[in-house]
Amino acid sequence: MAAHTLKKSIWSLGRIHCHIYGVNVRNPLNRATYATALSTNHSSQNKGFPDRGNKGPFNRRSRREAGDPRTDRMPVDQDWTTVYPTATPFRQGSVPLPVRMGFPVKKGVPPEKKGNLELIKIPNFLHLTPLAIKKHCEALKPFCTEWPSALDTGAKCDEHFPVKVECKDYVSAGTSLRNPSARIVHLRVSLSACVNYDYAMYLLTVLYHESWKMEAWESEKTVADMEEYSWEDSPSQKNIMSTLVRMQVAGEGEGEAVREELLGRPEVQEYRDSVTRLKNEGESESSMHQYRDAVKKVLNL
Amino acid sequence: AVLRRTSQVRPLHGSGCGQQQEAIGMETRPETFSIFRTQENDPACQSEQHLGQYYTVPPSHFHTVFPHGLPPRYQQQVKTFNEGCVMVRQPALELISHLKRADYSKPTLRYLLYGVKGSGKTMSLCHTVHYCSTQGWLVLHIPDAHLWVKNCKELLPSSYHASRFDQPIQASNWLRNFRTTNEHFLSKIKLRQRYVWTKRESTEEGRPLGELVDMGVSRVKSSSDVVGAVLKELRLQAGGTEGGFRLAVAVDGVNGLWGRTTLKKEDKSPVAPEELTLVHNLRKMINNDWCGGAVIATLSQTGSLYAPSSAYLPQELLGEEGFDSMDPFVPVPVSLYSEKEFESCYLYYLDHIHFHHWLQHPHSQTEEGKKELIFLSNRNPSVLERLCAFL
Repeated sequence: MAAHTLKKSIWSLGRIHCHIYGVNVRNPLNRATYATALSTNHSSQNKGFPDRGNKGPFNRRSRREAGDPRTDRMPVDQDWTTVYPTATPFRQGSVPLPVRMGFPVKKGVPPEKKGNLELIKIPNFLHLTPLAIKKHCEALKPFCTEWPSALDTGAKCDEHFPVKVECKDYVSAGTSLRNPSARIVHLRVSLSACVNYDYAMYLLTVLYHESWKMEAWESEKTVADMEEYSWEDSPSQKNIMSTLVRMQVAGEGEGEAVREELLGRPEVQEYRDSVTRLKNEGESESSMHQYRDAVKKVLNL
Repeated sequence: AVLRRTSQVRPLHGSGCGQQQEAIGMETRPETFSIFRTQENDPACQSEQHLGQYYTVPPSHFHTVFPHGLPPRYQQQVKTFNEGCVMVRQPALELISHLKRADYSKPTLRYLLYGVKGSGKTMSLCHTVHYCSTQGWLVLHIPDAHLWVKNCKELLPSSYHASRFDQPIQASNWLRNFRTTNEHFLSKIKLRQRYVWTKRESTEEGRPLGELVDMGVSRVKSSSDVVGAVLKELRLQAGGTEGGFRLAVAVDGVNGLWGRTTLKKEDKSPVAPEELTLVHNLRKMINNDWCGGAVIATLSQTGSLYAPSSAYLPQELLGEEGFDSMDPFVPVPVSLYSEKEFESCYLYYLDHIHFHHWLQHPHSQTEEGKKELIFLSNRNPSVLERLCAFL
């Protein structure tokens, strides 16, 4: 972009010079179509561009003239695959479309394709028109084997090949080769195609008996592993029991009998239900209210 | 949006105060005719008939009862209005009625105020604390438990227990405020145990509590342990038969005691709350293994760490550990203003236009303005206060 603007500014400068001096001298810095007088007035006018004596990247005297862009000479029914046989960057002189891209300039429209870096940066699929793909397929055909003639219906395919594996590949222009969605593979089996009933029953019986076996490590299951909250032996139960015992609700004395009696009371049952509901179902206004009422009853408020 | 129209100042609603003003043009405030104020300034005597009305906290009580407990915006309001008025609302009344009827020989009851942000939990707590104070209870008010688990500049390793950490600044600040609130108790309560601070310093058995507190305020290094000792003594002695007193433990933001802290040890590993002496001792107070008092706590999402801003229900903010420690507790929900309460608050702010030039905008006095305020604030007390302060 910087080079482009540099060119443009020099061009406009050159034009001014052209008008002033009426000289149409070939500009050593640019193509011949942009006429400037820079070679003669160079050192005195333009401090930014020191005269290097026709050396360096900007000075090339012998440069052939650029012709018209190819688009002018393209027939409508041309073979596009010859213009873009492979993946190449966008060439504005080769694409006969009036494409515009970019942020609109003030009071205007997106910039045109001439010298548009945005169009060059993006990937294009100009080399993959349907015709080009057809040609590729034709070229690949000699290397392919024929489809087996016996498998002409879908039903026959399912019968002989009941297990279907589906993999997806993704193509995108990006920083990385890999696409995480490409790791998903679908394996399909139709259950009605499985014929062995006896084997299925045998499997189910084995699974049933296996599930009853207790492994040694299962006894290490902690409270955090439990799927559901159980009130027995929870801190909540311990708290309420100790509170009630201290409140001497059931009369004097401690021990199992007192505990059993307390556990049997309806308020304690209600309390147990409300705490279980809170923990299992999560909180809400209604479950909080239920807990509130239960606590008030249990603690005799 | 509120500043759209300027209309004539016409109080349309039945504000006896306003109409009287317009008609007679009196300078003095006819307090007896206000429907949003009540003369009953003693929380013990307030009942359902006073619901929605404002009562004035006597100025003498302000500094003693609330040296550190009030929300900051309310403190500003008190300064602006030159009076501290609290609305009598259902949650506080419920709490006070429980406290009146509770049996103090049984294990302590825990009450938990919960509600959405700005619904009035801290104010209800302060109302209850005022009640306890007027009834002669000893009040242990921790204004915000979150202050003890974050932003502590100094963390000293505890001398008493090897793995714990002390927070001298927070502890000594709290002790100072505790001393202001409970002056009269400090000489009456005697220590039941001897406390040894260093090789040469110790506090003997039978000395007054005030001496312990003074020592904690002056010797900042051991202030956290002093707090622990104070809490232990109070726990043992509350509800005692001879010279017994009732102990109210009021903790705001109790969910800060369980969960995480933002404090780090020297090796950058995080400090768990139970490793802080202050938190450890406070948790012991919240257990119900003592009797002779009550624990009143509020949940607070503002100032809490690692809690989502929409969380307000007890289990969300307390976490499993907190819930199991507080269980069984009485949850007290605090809701947004009801119609009547909103009316009352609106009239209260309106009242100040005549004497204190608040609610300046004339539009705010019309019915339209009131509807706009209802819509904008959704009857949330703190939002309404901010809106009106802005007007």
